[in-house]
Amino acid sequence: MKAVGARLPRYDGLGHVVGETTFVDDVRVPDGNLWARALRSPSHAARIVRLDTRKAAELPGVHGIVTHEDIPRNVYGHLEALGVPADEPLLAEDEVRYKGQPIAVVAADSEEEAQAAVEAIELELEERDTLFDIRKAFDPDAPKIHPWGNWFPYFGGPDEGPDRRKVRKGDIDKAFSDADTIVQGVYRPAAIEHCPTETQVALVVPEASGRLVIYSCTQAMYFSMGVVAAHLEVPLNKLKFVGGTVGGGFGGKVDTAAETLSGLLALKTDRAVKWRWTREEEFLASSTRAPWHMEIADAVTSDGWILGRKMLTLHDAGAYARFSPYGLTKHAFHHAGAYTIPNIHFDGFVVFTNRVPTTAMRGFGVTSVSFAVETHISRIANTLGLDPYEFRLKNANRVGDTTPNGVTLTDPSTVATIHAVAEAAGDTLAPEYAAMTSEPRSGPLLPDHLVTQQRDGRSAHA
Amino acid sequence: MPRHKGRGISTIEYPTGMNQNGDPSQAWIKLKPDGRVDVFAGTVDIGQGSKTVHTQIVADAIGVPYEWVTMDNSNTDSSPVCTGSFASRGTFIGGNAVRFAAERVRERILDIAAKELEASADDLEIEDGTVSVSGAPDRNISVSDVAAAATWGHGELITGTGAALKPYAPVDPETGAVEIEPHCAISYASCIADVEVDDETGEVTVLRLIQAYDVGRAINPTLVEGQIEGGAMMGLGLGLLENSYPYYPETDHRGSEFGTYLAPGMEELPEIESLILENPAVDGPFGAKAIGEMANNAQPGALANAVFDAIGVWVTELPITPERVLRALERKNDGKHEPRHEGKKVIFDEEISIGTIGANGGAVALDVP
Repeated sequence: MKAVGARLPRYDGLGHVVGETTFVDDVRVPDGNLWARALRSPSHAARIVRLDTRKAAELPGVHGIVTHEDIPRNVYGHLEALGVPADEPLLAEDEVRYKGQPIAVVAADSEEEAQAAVEAIELELEERDTLFDIRKAFDPDAPKIHPWGNWFPYFGGPDEGPDRRKVRKGDIDKAFSDADTIVQGVYRPAAIEHCPTETQVALVVPEASGRLVIYSCTQAMYFSMGVVAAHLEVPLNKLKFVGGTVGGGFGGKVDTAAETLSGLLALKTDRAVKWRWTREEEFLASSTRAPWHMEIADAVTSDGWILGRKMLTLHDAGAYARFSPYGLTKHAFHHAGAYTIPNIHFDGFVVFTNRVPTTAMRGFGVTSVSFAVETHISRIANTLGLDPYEFRLKNANRVGDTTPNGVTLTDPSTVATIHAVAEAAGDTLAPEYAAMTSEPRSGPLLPDHLVTQQRDGRSAHA
Repeated sequence: MPRHKGRGISTIEYPTGMNQNGDPSQAWIKLKPDGRVDVFAGTVDIGQGSKTVHTQIVADAIGVPYEWVTMDNSNTDSSPVCTGSFASRGTFIGGNAVRFAAERVRERILDIAAKELEASADDLEIEDGTVSVSGAPDRNISVSDVAAAATWGHGELITGTGAALKPYAPVDPETGAVEIEPHCAISYASCIADVEVDDETGEVTVLRLIQAYDVGRAINPTLVEGQIEGGAMMGLGLGLLENSYPYYPETDHRGSEFGTYLAPGMEELPEIESLILENPAVDGPFGAKAIGEMANNAQPGALANAVFDAIGVWVTELPITPERVLRALERKNDGKHEPRHEGKKVIFDEEISIGTIGANGGAVALDVP
């Protein structure tokens, strides 16, 4: 029997449903472990005037406290390898930029003792003005969130460059001049939680050899190992990540949340340390899906061709960049959706606010634009008095069409998927639309305004 | 009648692999002395079933029964690099890594079998755990015996490594253009949402979702359907229920537990019809593209369109809560929901645009001629 294509049961399914799978919090070490808790910022934005851990360190059961001073490299960026400069400290130094930002971590014999020590840490803050509405980030009197300003300036790489992700294609002015109608709309999906069953958790066991064994719920063991190694300034052979089985991630466990600080506490105390976030921390201090603000203006003809699109996107990164520039670039690459639009003018900004940093979540960068584009497409069809199936089929990606960044499509399925759902729903298409395929355009489906975009396409498969 | 039915459609596309590439996955495989197969790869199983998919690919790429294949993804000492389980990259990139490793193992099995059968390796084939000479099926040896011969007779370890990497695709900062494809493949999907909207309470009930996904090749159709159905519920949450900041942009009243954060549950589960299309990717494992992330992208747009179809208002801020539905209906009744017409421009949602909210008309507002 061939395995590929077969409805085989989940490899690890039985263990999951009978409760036998070992997740990180199930791991036990022979000599037991210390427990970590974090002091988190109670303020959305403040200057740290004073941080004193001396009294907390004297409390019963406390084995060690780590602040930014204990971290070999405190500021490290998730995307440094891609030329995105670092902006986020592992533990806050002079400023806190979001409520819930970690400032210090304690290791103690019990979670209760660790929490008591956290509450005994003396922290004095000087409140600063906050910014939450990304639409006001560009105002002259907006509070300044970040040394970089209120939006990410490095879309040309570490030597700065454009302060936005740009996409330019074709002749946008001609498209808008030739249009019969221009339809504008604004689309704003919300921040949402990843809601994993397993909260962020790590167990770090120091070995006599000096190695750290890190039991991790990361979605990306090598990526997280790289992050820990960078903060600790150690080579990869000093670390062993144990994981591969996760109790729900959805993107929220791409950030390396508990591993590094647990490792620092393990090094400082020479004891195994476990840090498991409470449900409240998971909801309030862990990253969310980003809220987005998208404005679309489409130049269209009365008979249903999309000639051009102008789009502005503001991506709410929260207080630090993390993966946001990556997510926005992916968003920019896919802002035409499953359609072929020959003339494009896109500007996208990664905007900082005093919100918990946003991060990857299922569909990162594209979930937002799929909602915006699809609602906008139906709006245009309704405005023009066209059938929403027909308007989509007419402008659908076809073999030989190009994406906003000039890649020639080789195997699009816009047409096939529309046909499939229409048939299943019992909606009958007009014969000319029912007969459409994804084959290269010709005849009335290759009007002049689509000829140039095909010619300008670049190599598909590298 | 306060309850109105509506239908909305949405069509989407989604890339496989990290945007702009540069995200390797690697694997290695060894054979036990009885021919059983050990796969080592760092692909994290986040519930999507990547261990199942990887072992299915390996079984067929070598030619042994599925039950022979075991996978260890438990640690970074024994497993080589996997960039991570994100970007819908597991089946395509991780799958290619184990496929390439399995192909090397297959070659090594054939080399040893050729000696045992006194035949040319080029004339051999492997199926269901048996190596035989093409056209002479009686001349055969089991993979178990090949592995035993390698171990105890030839003094060799049958192993193979594989690495999948598409090189990084730089982007022109001024035009967004790329010189090489910045993804591994693109998957497509369409979604029809049938809803019922109560114009007195503002509640939106999803009656049915019909969804078609082109995944290239369904390595495991049950797992694909699992992604489609699970993703649909996440999309439904994003479209109708969930909000970390219910009074965004204000930060008050954040849900801090499952009891105060409105995520979809079984009571919201609509009738779901899942259709799998297979338009293969030329360089995916057995033609596979991806399904993981895109499964929650199509519903919010389909739901917004269905709500319009039902009651004639566009709600373009998510989630589409009863409050937002009722406010939109109120604006419609007050004659304020219609777009503004200016020349050939039809302008919706002006009241929530950066031009209205930002100072001085919004410094970066769209310039629409």
